[in-house]
Amino acid sequence: MKWSQFFNTSIGKKLLVGATGLFLCSFVIVHLAGNLALLKNDGGEAFNVYAAFMSHNALIQFIAWGLKIVILVHAILALQLTFRNRAARPVKYAVNPGNQTSSWFSRQMAIMGSILLIFIIIHLKDFWYRMHYGELEPVSYGGEELKNMYLAVQVAFRELWIVIIYVIGMIGLSFHLVHGFKSAFQTFGLNHVKYNGLINFVGVWIFGILIPLGFAIIPVVIYFKSIQ
Amino acid sequence: MEHYNMNLTLKVWRQKNTNAQGQFESYQVPGVSSEMSFLEMFDVLNERLINEGKEPVAFDHDCREGICGACSMHINGRAHGPWAGTTTCQLHMRAFKDGDTITVEPWRSGSFPVVKDLTVDRGAFDRIIEAGGYVSVNTGNAQDANNILVPKDDADAAFAAAACIGCGACVAACKNSSAMLFVSAKVSQLALLPQGQPEKKSRALNMIAQMDKEGFGSCTNTGACEAECPKEISLTNIARLNREYIAAGLTYEK
Repeated sequence: MKWSQFFNTSIGKKLLVGATGLFLCSFVIVHLAGNLALLKNDGGEAFNVYAAFMSHNALIQFIAWGLKIVILVHAILALQLTFRNRAARPVKYAVNPGNQTSSWFSRQMAIMGSILLIFIIIHLKDFWYRMHYGELEPVSYGGEELKNMYLAVQVAFRELWIVIIYVIGMIGLSFHLVHGFKSAFQTFGLNHVKYNGLINFVGVWIFGILIPLGFAIIPVVIYFKSIQ
Repeated sequence: MEHYNMNLTLKVWRQKNTNAQGQFESYQVPGVSSEMSFLEMFDVLNERLINEGKEPVAFDHDCREGICGACSMHINGRAHGPWAGTTTCQLHMRAFKDGDTITVEPWRSGSFPVVKDLTVDRGAFDRIIEAGGYVSVNTGNAQDANNILVPKDDADAAFAAAACIGCGACVAACKNSSAMLFVSAKVSQLALLPQGQPEKKSRALNMIAQMDKEGFGSCTNTGACEAECPKEISLTNIARLNREYIAAGLTYEK
């Protein structure tokens, strides 16, 4: 079987969606770890040094562009599958079972994924684009001049509506990963009584609750500090 | 359980043929016994419609003992009605109470076209089986049964998968009209046994190719199929089908 055929069936596409999804799960851990530097009370030094490192290291730049391609592959294939799935039932039911036969989260993957995609575009424009191509005030630590990304973040999150957009984005992330993380394992055929409990726990508590909460806390804390 | 009679309102999908536009029609069905099966309640309604010179409601049924998989009715939003692990013929009217309105629809899937009223064409399943859901056996004398040893656990798992009656409830219940539970059961029952090994790779690939060709949706692991399956086929079969696909797709030379 050719590779092109292997990835062109419904299961083949799902394998790509699952693999890219799990890669993105690993990314959010790294991203959150870096972002937590925003909460450090050092006037932004730790975060600015981190931001400068992330935007200059060659390997990280390579991975960062790969990441954008991974997001696109994940979104395009998932949307393609979703449209096909919708088309598979041309006449809809008059009465639907609701939550009686499946979890609400498992049925909202496309909606939550779309919210997340819109959020990612807004987020990249807000910060990534400005860090790389925009004008930012300089700041120097021990003679080395860096872009003051910390200040840009502080200014952005003084606006309540931006904070609300970020919180909504993280609710989208949470609801997407509650089902998404464990679903990827099932797609890879990894379903085993011995590990299902652990996979479910990590999916719901780590990726569904802890990580989105960690992200969402940052703009909320910055906002409340700014109005004090 | 106490016997009781009830008066019901049925909202039934009526459709003349595959190409006709269908619509719901309401029927009052008085004096339904709680001891009747759901299909017997339809028999009562149809007797009356025939006596009144009207067209009876077409629905599939055969064994009426829960093993043939013919009785495809989507009842109040649930494949085979509200009870778990039952076909429509095994659903009894004690699941309902006096004054209930019950909505009955055919399986909804582009791959299962409505033939008439509640009857759908499940030929797509037959074509998936034709694509690889078999073991090629040379004719000749039967071998000694113990020639090929099968571990008991494997035999049990294969038997559990083989319990699939091909009713299509998985497709009907899935928000994507996915046939993965059906295909996974039919692949698993052979993949688990030594006799299924020689055609293992081509079977998985060909059956999945046919499943896609028939226009079924893809699985998003919601688990609705497992919840509605009258034979309680497990989602672990879908994981096995995915493994079969990966193993075959990565190594099959054709």
